[in-house]
Amino acid sequence: MSVHTPGHTPGHARDPRAGRSAGTARLARRSRRAGAGLIATPLSWLYALLLAAPLYYLVVSALKTNIEIFNHPFALPAHWLWANFRTAWQTADLGQALLNSLLISVVAIVLTLGLAMPAAFALARLDNRLSRLVTGTFSVGFLIPPFAALIPTVILAIKLHMFYTREFQMLFLPASALPLSVLLLTQFMRTVPPALVESAALDGAGNWRLLVNVFIPIAMPGVVSVAILQLLTFWNEYLFSLTITGTAPDIRTAQVALPTLVSDATDFGVLTAGTVLTLLPVYVAYSLASRRMQEALTAGAVKG
Amino acid sequence: MTSTSILAGTRAAPESAPPAAGRRRRRRGGLNTPRLLWLTVPSLVWFAVFSVGPLVAMFVIATLRWKGLIYDPSYVGTENIRHVFDDQLFHDALRNSLVQVAVVIPVMIPLAFMLGYHLSTKPRGYRVLSILYFSPGLISISVTGMIFYGVLSPNGGANGLLNSVGLDSLAHSWLADPSTALPSLIAIDLWRGIGWTAVLFASRLASVPGDVIEAARIDGAGRFRIIWQITFPMVKDYVRTLTMLQFLWTLFTSAALILLLTKGGPGTSSTTLSYLVYEKAFSQSDLGYSQVVGVVLLLIGIAGMLLIRALLRSPLEKIR
Repeated sequence: MSVHTPGHTPGHARDPRAGRSAGTARLARRSRRAGAGLIATPLSWLYALLLAAPLYYLVVSALKTNIEIFNHPFALPAHWLWANFRTAWQTADLGQALLNSLLISVVAIVLTLGLAMPAAFALARLDNRLSRLVTGTFSVGFLIPPFAALIPTVILAIKLHMFYTREFQMLFLPASALPLSVLLLTQFMRTVPPALVESAALDGAGNWRLLVNVFIPIAMPGVVSVAILQLLTFWNEYLFSLTITGTAPDIRTAQVALPTLVSDATDFGVLTAGTVLTLLPVYVAYSLASRRMQEALTAGAVKG
Repeated sequence: MTSTSILAGTRAAPESAPPAAGRRRRRRGGLNTPRLLWLTVPSLVWFAVFSVGPLVAMFVIATLRWKGLIYDPSYVGTENIRHVFDDQLFHDALRNSLVQVAVVIPVMIPLAFMLGYHLSTKPRGYRVLSILYFSPGLISISVTGMIFYGVLSPNGGANGLLNSVGLDSLAHSWLADPSTALPSLIAIDLWRGIGWTAVLFASRLASVPGDVIEAARIDGAGRFRIIWQITFPMVKDYVRTLTMLQFLWTLFTSAALILLLTKGGPGTSSTTLSYLVYEKAFSQSDLGYSQVVGVVLLLIGIAGMLLIRALLRSPLEKIR
């Protein structure tokens, strides 16, 4: 962007005067902060503002009428129009939609973990040509965006007589999540000390007991990370849900139900209220476990 | 990672096992033999049926004349390919897709990297910053679509903001104007992508030893030099991976946002290859055409990945 040179000079200029009493650690921090000062800080907050503005607009609009949204877009609502939420809830049948999303996500995550954990267990313990081939397959698979095969997947759903059902999504979503899940879980399961495996084996533990009693407990942080990461992916999935599960009110997901609030005469208050309602579960989860969630999501992109 | 696995492998290898009672040894051998690999079969089968199968089927469908899902397809060979390459719509979509990735990736990655470095120095208020930057990662594409449907509508927030600062002349219907439809979509890509990628970079940079950077600072290296000449080479492989991922996401997943906001219009001004795949299959019922575009998209994806890999190859790696 722009070259930053004079930033840390104030910190250095103070260096002799700060003396030993200040402590070098604090000094280092000071100079870091001062160095961060001139250009990066305002720009980083400007971008934060750009991120926050639409979100703020979303929340205040949810409590307004169309006229008020158009005339005073960024003002707080004159009258807090809570009725928007009820209208959105009823018009888009959001209760049923959220339930459908929940059902699909939970079944899919159970299936994902059920398939990925044994595979990761095997890959973590073996290192031969075949196991490297399997790992390689999943590494390539991770790179392929699921969208690439959207239309053939729709055809597959039709051939399996599962078009316009929630069940197909329950089966399909784990497949798209498997490469990353297996790779991440394998990494975590590799941290199990070989000595522990050996002693468990001497006690006569079979593979099943080894997986359940040794590997899964030790890899638990990884299992939780994968579960959070994939639950969020499943919950937020849109295009496959739209084309395969469809828009029938009794089976559609929340992500599909929300855009049905758009029409030729969209009530923006109701639309934004519906958006807030759809977003709420994710933000509630985030506020409860922000650190874990951040760890899980960054872990998901760390694996390449 | 590799070292532990190698260690585990040799530890459990039959020859290193001490001679023990027959039954026990057989049991141990059974625990860590290649037969263990059978445990990967269910997930491989699942992946093959639901991911690899459809991907392969795409190449087959590209050679079929198939006018809608209720009709029977017939084989036409390369006719679809000729048809697609003669179609102006395809060339428009190709151009739009190339513009999209050519703007999004070179803008997003350097900005995100510098922001990520800034976050990793833990400036004042960095927790608030990182929560805000992280937010787009939580928001689904359909919610993003609805937020910007409101913000960019003629009476929406963007124009409201312009009016309130006296720039009424700039206000217009962003998504209904051919000259701003695609730029709006690109802006949304950047809006959600930069901060999110910055958080990822920041978490990776946290593992870079601080004393290296501190030493460079004491030697008088400016911030810009520290970022690009010291930090960047240390995490180049990670930058490369993330660049590839962002490239693929941008190229492939634009269909959903376009479907929600512009439907490819006005005219063809915001039709990308990704949206063309969707539109041809579902609106115009030409599955063969759609899948030829799908194959082109896949080839561009692979070519782009190879290009990014070549561009971001570190000289160190060649020596090793």
